[in-house]
Amino acid sequence: MKTYKEIKIKTEPFDVDLLSGFLWQLDIDGINEFDDYLLVFISENKSVSLEEINLLMEKLVEDKFINSFDIEFQTLEEKNWNEEYEKNVKVVEVTEKIVIKPSFKEYNPKPNQLVITIDPKMSFGTGDHATTKLILSHLEKIVKGNEFVLDVGSGTGILGITAVKLGAAKAICIDNDEWCYLNGNENVKMNELNEKVDVRLCEIKDVEEKDFDLILANINKPILINIVDDLKIKFKKEGTLILSGLLNIDEIDIISLYESKGFVLNDKSQLEEWIALVFKTNS
Amino acid sequence: MAKKIDGYIKLQIPAGAANPSPPVGPALGQKGVNIMEFCKQFNARTSSQQGLIIPVVITVYSDKSFTFITKTPPAAVLLKKAAKVEKGSAEPNKTKVAKVSKAQVEEIAKLKMPDLNAHDIEHAASMIAGTARSMGFTVED
Repeated sequence: MKTYKEIKIKTEPFDVDLLSGFLWQLDIDGINEFDDYLLVFISENKSVSLEEINLLMEKLVEDKFINSFDIEFQTLEEKNWNEEYEKNVKVVEVTEKIVIKPSFKEYNPKPNQLVITIDPKMSFGTGDHATTKLILSHLEKIVKGNEFVLDVGSGTGILGITAVKLGAAKAICIDNDEWCYLNGNENVKMNELNEKVDVRLCEIKDVEEKDFDLILANINKPILINIVDDLKIKFKKEGTLILSGLLNIDEIDIISLYESKGFVLNDKSQLEEWIALVFKTNS
Repeated sequence: MAKKIDGYIKLQIPAGAANPSPPVGPALGQKGVNIMEFCKQFNARTSSQQGLIIPVVITVYSDKSFTFITKTPPAAVLLKKAAKVEKGSAEPNKTKVAKVSKAQVEEIAKLKMPDLNAHDIEHAASMIAGTARSMGFTVED
């Protein structure tokens, strides 16, 4: 299991902006601010040592920014920090047809309802977020049967799993996060789709298949900008691309980029401040 | 009726790069907040500021929902960006590693004003200039 250095730093006087500004000169992961101390986190793959932190603090004393300091250190093991939230995950009726539920909740489906079981475990995609709801609603309209689907940045695997439950022939779900890989596989197993949904720990460049009918990507603007060319070459001649993880302020930039690459905007939807864009490939 | 506030969480994380690892995971996890939803929102809202460190104050409500506001990056981070350097000097009194103009310092002071304990903009600028000098930056007219 991955570990982190958790370093508690107390100074006299305590000036968060000043102290954190100097700490960010080191290669740290992040800071949690408290009233009279900071917790600094450094992951195991980074080279910052306690000695460096000590030297920095001594320097701040020497330069009279602080009078004194106190440092405490402990090792933190990575775990499922989302556990507390997961206990409260609710059943979500995304549309009249699609229902997402956690494994520990019972749900009596109405006729024609499709119930998908998803336990999130530090992965994105419980069915409750606007971006997931938007894509799932589009999926319900778009999936006609037998499609080959790619879900990029798949998180819990919710989109790929739902696509197959709606009738797609097969889905490949990719994510570069190990939690998502493990969690995606658990969810595939829970939905008894091992033969039809393939979860992979990789980037889009590593996907060899290039004959997808439908590609889904619920990520964010910078990544969707970066992968536009990779997405384009993964399609069969004609295909559909659904993007989300975008705010309404991102709409113009994303549409203009994707259209410049030969995609044609076919549909769009908005929920709260989030949008989903549906493109067709221009063959 | 307004929702009951359960507490506040204050973090500093790189713009557009929140993930469930520390500090986000442990801080939000113990309050029962949906970590991944926070990451999604934070990354979407700060993606245009990539390269900067963003302090964020998260308000957690009793129903485990949350809202957040972002604040201005630490002065040292803004100074490095203005001077276009990765790091300050290890020996600021002896080795100067970069220059910033007085105008740049004033610009940072204006930006930081809401988050500083300064009584006016001149005071804020002198605080920022002090931080710059301590990093081995010269402040020029």
